[in-house]
Amino acid sequence: MFPIDIRPDKLGEEMLDYSRKLGHGMENLINAGDIDTGVTPKDAVYHDDKLTLYRYRRPSDVAQQKVPLLVVYALVNRPYMTDIQENRSTVKGLLGTGQDVYLIDWGYPDQADRALTLDDYINGYLDGCVDHIRETHGLDKINILGICQGGSFSLMYTALHPNKVQNLVTMVTPVDFKTPDNMLSNWVQNIDVDLAVDTMGNIPGEILNWTFLSLKPFSLTGQKYVNMVDLLDDPDKVKNFLRMEKWIFDSPDQAGETFRQFIKDYYQNNAFMEGKARVGDRPVDLKQITCPVLNIYAQQDHLVPPASSKALNGMTGSEDYTELAFPGGHIGIYVSGKAQKEVTPAIGNWLNERS
Amino acid sequence: MANDTWFNEDWLKLQQRYWENLADMSRKAMGLEAPRQNPWEAAMDQWWQAVSPAASDPSKQFMNRLMEQGKAYFATVERFTRGLAGADGSAGWDALNKTLDEMQRGFTDALSSGFGANPFAAGGSTGAAEDAMHRMLGFWEMPLDNWQRMMSSMTPAMPGDLLRNMPHEQVKENFDRMLSAPGLGYTREEQAQYQDLMRRGMDYQRAFQDYMGFFAKLGIKSVERLRDFVQSRASEGKPIDSARDLYDSWVSCCETVYAEDVNTPEYARIHGQLVNAQMALKNRMSVMVDETLGALNMPTRSELRTLQDRMQETRRENKRLRREIDSIRRQIAERPAASPARAAAAEAPAAPKKKAAARKKTAAKAGARAER
Repeated sequence: MFPIDIRPDKLGEEMLDYSRKLGHGMENLINAGDIDTGVTPKDAVYHDDKLTLYRYRRPSDVAQQKVPLLVVYALVNRPYMTDIQENRSTVKGLLGTGQDVYLIDWGYPDQADRALTLDDYINGYLDGCVDHIRETHGLDKINILGICQGGSFSLMYTALHPNKVQNLVTMVTPVDFKTPDNMLSNWVQNIDVDLAVDTMGNIPGEILNWTFLSLKPFSLTGQKYVNMVDLLDDPDKVKNFLRMEKWIFDSPDQAGETFRQFIKDYYQNNAFMEGKARVGDRPVDLKQITCPVLNIYAQQDHLVPPASSKALNGMTGSEDYTELAFPGGHIGIYVSGKAQKEVTPAIGNWLNERS
Repeated sequence: MANDTWFNEDWLKLQQRYWENLADMSRKAMGLEAPRQNPWEAAMDQWWQAVSPAASDPSKQFMNRLMEQGKAYFATVERFTRGLAGADGSAGWDALNKTLDEMQRGFTDALSSGFGANPFAAGGSTGAAEDAMHRMLGFWEMPLDNWQRMMSSMTPAMPGDLLRNMPHEQVKENFDRMLSAPGLGYTREEQAQYQDLMRRGMDYQRAFQDYMGFFAKLGIKSVERLRDFVQSRASEGKPIDSARDLYDSWVSCCETVYAEDVNTPEYARIHGQLVNAQMALKNRMSVMVDETLGALNMPTRSELRTLQDRMQETRRENKRLRREIDSIRRQIAERPAASPARAAAAEAPAAPKKKAAARKKTAAKAGARAER
């Protein structure tokens, strides 16, 4: 049998259909207007340089937990991913489980922030946010939820300040940066990070965009847009797509010194696994993390492979360590319908049992 | 279902009719008259030229992306259907293999030409069939295109493809000799800098050609993967029966081969080389720009960085001190209430106490030294 059976009349129909959808979709694109992100009402409660700490307004019909939760997002991309739209919001889901949710927005570093180090981010900015929340609530310890690179930051922070963290949740967090399936890690092994940072100062967001698109270039820069045409008839789907598109390309520049340290120490030298992690002049010993730990990873994660996250098992000093596998990808873990049903409630319940 | 009847002598006529009808259908769908060339693409282009001024910039950019990918999508399908035109069942395989061979040859030519004359570029093509071929192969340029877009956005004065097609091997020897000549006289340093700049430019171009070469090899492998894939579909009795199925299969083959090969030490080397070469070039340019700015008595990037470093160090120190002060204030506030006089008495000796201890230590050290 011959393997290609594309009848001309059917092909004609397909092309016509594609054209028609594009034509009609144009109307929806023109009417899409501004793309709003970050849907849940919130208040800025604390500032430090370009950092803003937000506190989300709690729903009145949900019993409030006493210990607040601080969400620590990555420096890469923007934290509104956690609250990207009404029916796909990790933040909203957490509020629904009674968490009092705070979120760090690191802002957009410019060249004046080039000299910020990991120490400044972790023992400066992050610690400042934690102290602000502790003082506001009159508590010694709070809960932390670290996402992706923010999860790595949270591990460092908790190891350095164990007396300030009640429970730690890490989501799609890289721990072992040299698992064989880690493409990003493979790509940076031969990069002269010192030369890059000395040359560029800050690392432009465009480089990060290019890097992430290069993980699946044909799907992410080609096929995705062909598939998109099927959604153009539906104004809501168009808006959702544009929202994701905005997020994907909304990449802040990376403060040069922090980038230098993070890539060299973690991606090139696997500092957690090698026991060589340091922040400022202090060594980071993950065994100092004795609070309960919930480690969530995505089974189809192409950015942080599951093995990279699962390496945390046994690395901390916690006697209450739980793992949760999500059947999806790095982004789906916040925005998919399944994540809203499975991941967010699981975090809320786990925290509620321990707060 | 596929059967021999689709690949008989009438197929070509049927397809010609189809393209003509399609052109009419496309024009009707868009409500516009389109030239009778590549029908779908031409109709789309004309329609887009008419309506795009009404769109906002973000929408326009987005639609451009959709249009471009739509063209790549149908170019892929068009290439296959044209290649199969007129073939009967048994000859179908020959026609398909011929199409795949041509695709592989496109990548091989790209490799052998050293990308000196970019064979993927559609600009120099002579007809719709060639355009389709170029666009289809150009699909494999997406990773390269991403690199160039990124690089152009970072270095506005140097478009991403500035060095891409610069003759390399042919001029390398003479160029190297010229660049190794020492600078002379009053402008010796300046000459040396320009020589270094050119050397770095050549290094970058070499790295970029290695990078493109790697992708051309991946292209050849992807076509082979597609060949295996269609054969497996034939064995399973599940023919590819739609444009989307064919396109998705091609994307899947490309993506699978890509994922296998970019997770290798060889790619890590090529990728690292490319990024490092670009940074080295940019670094030299920055130094030269700084020197020019310095000569004009203007602030340089280097000076700004020194100031940024010092300022950050000062801010760090200030923040640390502020925290210490806050902590001390809190400790004081938390102490049990005492009479103002006692509190003052308690506060006052606190500092000297440390100092006294320090003095004691100093005295002890001095004593110890004296004893040696």
